[in-house]
This record gives sequence, C-alpha cells and structure tokens, in this order.
Amino acid sequence: MQPRTRIKLLFLLPAAAWVLVWTIFPFFYGLWLSLFHIDFGGEDRFIGLDNFKRFFSDRNALNAVKITFLFVLGSVTVQVILGLLLALAANRPLPLRGLVRTMLILPLFATPVAVGFLFFTIFYEEGGLVNGLLSIKVPWLSSPGYALIAIIIADTWQWISFCFLILLAGLQSIPDDVYEAAALETRNRWKIFWHITFPYLQPTLVLVILLRITEAFKVFAIPYTLTRGGPGNATLVLPMYAYRAGMRFFDFGYASAISFMAFVLVMLFIIFLFRSIRQAY
Amino acid sequence: MKHRMNISLRRQIDRYSFQLLLLGAALIAVLPFYWAMTLSIRDPMETFTVAGLAVPFVQFQPTLANWIEELSVGEAQRALTNSSIIALGTALGLMVLGTPAAYALARFRFRRPSNQNLILWFLSQRVLPPIVTVVPVFMIMRQLHLLDTRLALILVNITFNLPLVVIIVRQGFLDIPIELEEAALVDGANHAHVFWHLSLRLAVPSLMAAMLISIAYTWNEFLFALIISSRDAVTVPVHMAGAAGTRGIQFWFVGVRVLMAMAPPVILAVLAQRFIVRGLTAGALKG
Repeated sequence: MQPRTRIKLLFLLPAAAWVLVWTIFPFFYGLWLSLFHIDFGGEDRFIGLDNFKRFFSDRNALNAVKITFLFVLGSVTVQVILGLLLALAANRPLPLRGLVRTMLILPLFATPVAVGFLFFTIFYEEGGLVNGLLSIKVPWLSSPGYALIAIIIADTWQWISFCFLILLAGLQSIPDDVYEAAALETRNRWKIFWHITFPYLQPTLVLVILLRITEAFKVFAIPYTLTRGGPGNATLVLPMYAYRAGMRFFDFGYASAISFMAFVLVMLFIIFLFRSIRQAY
Repeated sequence: MKHRMNISLRRQIDRYSFQLLLLGAALIAVLPFYWAMTLSIRDPMETFTVAGLAVPFVQFQPTLANWIEELSVGEAQRALTNSSIIALGTALGLMVLGTPAAYALARFRFRRPSNQNLILWFLSQRVLPPIVTVVPVFMIMRQLHLLDTRLALILVNITFNLPLVVIIVRQGFLDIPIELEEAALVDGANHAHVFWHLSLRLAVPSLMAAMLISIAYTWNEFLFALIISSRDAVTVPVHMAGAAGTRGIQFWFVGVRVLMAMAPPVILAVLAQRFIVRGLTAGALKG
C-alpha cells in the first residue's frame, strides 16, 4: 500500500469503524429484535412480522402517529414562519442588534428536560405565568387540544432561534448588488421580497424546513416532562410510545417495531433532505 | 415637501416596527429564564400567592433557602459531577476520533466510496431518530455490563455528536489556505506532520465550535441517559425528571433545578456565540 493511501485510511477508519459499531450494528440488531417476542426470563420467540401487524391494529400506536404528525406540522410551520420574519427584521443595521441576537440564542441550548418542567410551571393553570399574566383561564395542561399547543409553544420557544440564525445567514449571503439593481426597478418591498429575496433564500428555506422536520420527529424530553403524554394519550408522540412499550412494559420486540415505524416515517423526509443538500458538496 | 415627509415618516415607522418585533421576540426568549429565577428565590409558601411577573423585592422578599437546600442534596451533586465528566469525556473522545476523519475528508480524495458519499454517510446518523437504537443499545450495554456507568453514556454521546464534529471541523480545515500545507509538504514534511503541527492549530476555532456544541448537546441528552443510568451514572436531566417523579413537581425546586441544568450549556452558548453561530450554520448550510 502506498504511504499516502495508508495515511488517509488511518485518519478515516477509526471514525468510520465507530459509526459501524455504534450506529449501523445497533440499527440492524434493532431490526432483528423487532421480529421477536422478547420475554425477560423466558425464551425469545421468533414471530416474524407480527409486531408490525400489531402496530397497524393498535389504536394507541395509530393515535401516536397522528399526534406526531400534528406536532411536527404545527411546530415546524410556526417556527419557520416566525424565524423568517425575525431574520428579515434583523437583516439590516439596527442598534442593539448584537444584544437582541444574544437574547434570542439563549433558548437554543437550554436543556429540553428543564424546558419541559419550566413550561409546566408557566402553563400551570392556577398561578402559572401565562394565565396569571394575561388574566385568562386557559386549561393548558388538562385539555387535550391545549396540551398539544403547549408542547408546540415550548418547542417553538426553544427552536425558533435555530431557524432565525440559519435564515439570517442565508439572507446575509445574498449579494448587495442584486438589491441595488432591483431598487432601480421598483420601490415596492413586497415585490423585492417575492422576486429577489425569496428565490435566493429558497434553498436555505428548504434546508431549514427539512432539518426541523427530522429534528421534530425525535421529540421526547419536552412531552415526557411537560405533559407526560397526557391528558390521556393527547400528547403521546411516537418516541414516547416506543419508550413506554420498551422500558415500562419490557416489550422490547414491539418497542423496536414501533421505533422502526417512526424511522420509516422520518425516512420519507430524509430522502428529500439529502437530495437538496447533495449539491452543497 | 409633504410627500418627502411622508416617506421619511414611513421609514421611521418601518424601522421601529422591525425594532419592536425583534425586541418583543428577545423578551419572550428571556422571560422563561426570568420566571425560573423568580420561582427559585421565592418562599414555597408564596408560590401561588404572588401574582403576575413576581418581581423580587417589590412583590416578595427573595430567599436563597431553596438553592441551599437543593445543592446540599447528595444526588444533585452527583448528577452535576456525572454530567460534567460525561460531557468532557465525550468532547475528548470526539476530538480524538472526529478531527482526523474531518481532515481526511477535507484534504484527501477517496474514490470508492467518494468523499461526498462518505460525508452523507456520516451525516445520515444525525437524522436517524435516536429512539431506533434505544432498545439495541440497552441490550448491548447490558451484555457488556456497562449499564449505569458514565463510560456507557460517553460512548453513546460520542456516537451522536461524531457527525456534527466531522462536518464542522471539515469545514474548518477547508477554510485553511491549501498553499500553506502544500508548502510544508514540498519542504519534506509528511501528511501526519502537517496535520499535527500546522492544520490542527489553524483549525482551532472550528474545533472549539464543535467541542462547545457537543458539550452542550451531551449535557442536555436525556433519552439514553434515562435508559442507561439508574443510580451511579444519573445525569442532571435524569435527576430532574426523577426528583419530580418521586416528590411531585415543587415549583421552587423546579426553578432551582431548571437554572442549574440550563446554566452550563446556555453560558457556553453565550461565551462562544460567534463560534456557535458559525458552527451551526456551517453544519447546516454546508451539510
């Protein structure tokens, strides 16, 4: 082997091997487990696709799919629209822009478990911040619809700055002379946005949407702490349902099957994601 | 004249409406932190009796009793220690594993598979929902007798953050002018030498960004910490969830724990703001 080939493999192989051992192997091991009925203390029994058949006749599982979709749709839509609005507002010289940006970044790295508990006290119906401050009596945590909205708000509080930062970077990469040329044609801001800003920003926008969708499908810590999946099953998203099946009922085979269904759903979006970022390399 | 005034007036309104929008958003971003702070310094008796924004000194007499009580609990101290060790151990492991791979992908040409496919392969880990590997990783850790150890949590967190580190640091290497490295190679240095003495030093900002982001993510990780740790390796998020589970949600302690959990990653984010913005956008825009 040439020394150059040897060194490049030496550099790459440890990381590649790591991914094989800790991601690819568990992935297929999980797929294998989903074909069994796993019984602690007893014998594991091969049951083929029964766990998947069970998924499609399990009302709670199908409800979890619905809840997950509603959550992803709601939170991503709100975050991208508000993030874009803020990015447009910040894409100009403004006094205090640095301070405002710092303030906006804070929630991005806040511990999700803590976000869940914190919003529990914020949405608490008697003496919580929101109802107290606005003098309203919204059943944030005891009504199924509002509980889902509460989770979407908490998630949005955390992730809006992600959309904001990336979209702002996208806006700032649009060359100035494009705007200067457009200013000769029209002064209508809406026209400039629609015909100049939007087309330039589109790849970034698509990327942000897809990144947020794949990220939103992973949601776990916030519903786990804010609503515990309730009231009833109103906020029981797929990852939580799989966690419950595995870690509370020790039904490891079925839990694996549920996880793979979550994977299949998100895969649809990932294919889009890869297609749109492939050009970047 | 009148026309001109209208335009300037409209500009003023425009400007201030943007200002106000941003300022409002910034205040909403900060409000929950403020709320946690005011909860944490309130006497438990006053949890529900103080209305609205609960301004300390004005609406109630603040106290540090909750902080002292929470921080003197053995489990809380252990959780803080565990989370710190796990986050630093993960960052160290990532440095060792991720940096050479990032360099290889930035500077060497791979044919089969190509660089592009290798990068996408690394990246694909990031979009895999972690719940998919929860059960198998639990089984593997049980086999290896690593359940409830910090080592197990370091291993899984390295796995989660490796793609991010590879992408961000690779971008850092790409930003170094290649002429510098070529000059050193012409002078007779080998690739390992150039990497160690030149490129690594020039890529420090991107390394910092990658490390800080992965420390924050590791500190915040919940799902795997929840299934792997039960007593000895409990992290801050798991401690929070557990304490609420056994004693119910006590607002005053929630305030303390929320700030305790959030402080390290949030402070990291503020201190390294420039790096992090760059890291996040490099990781996202370029892949």
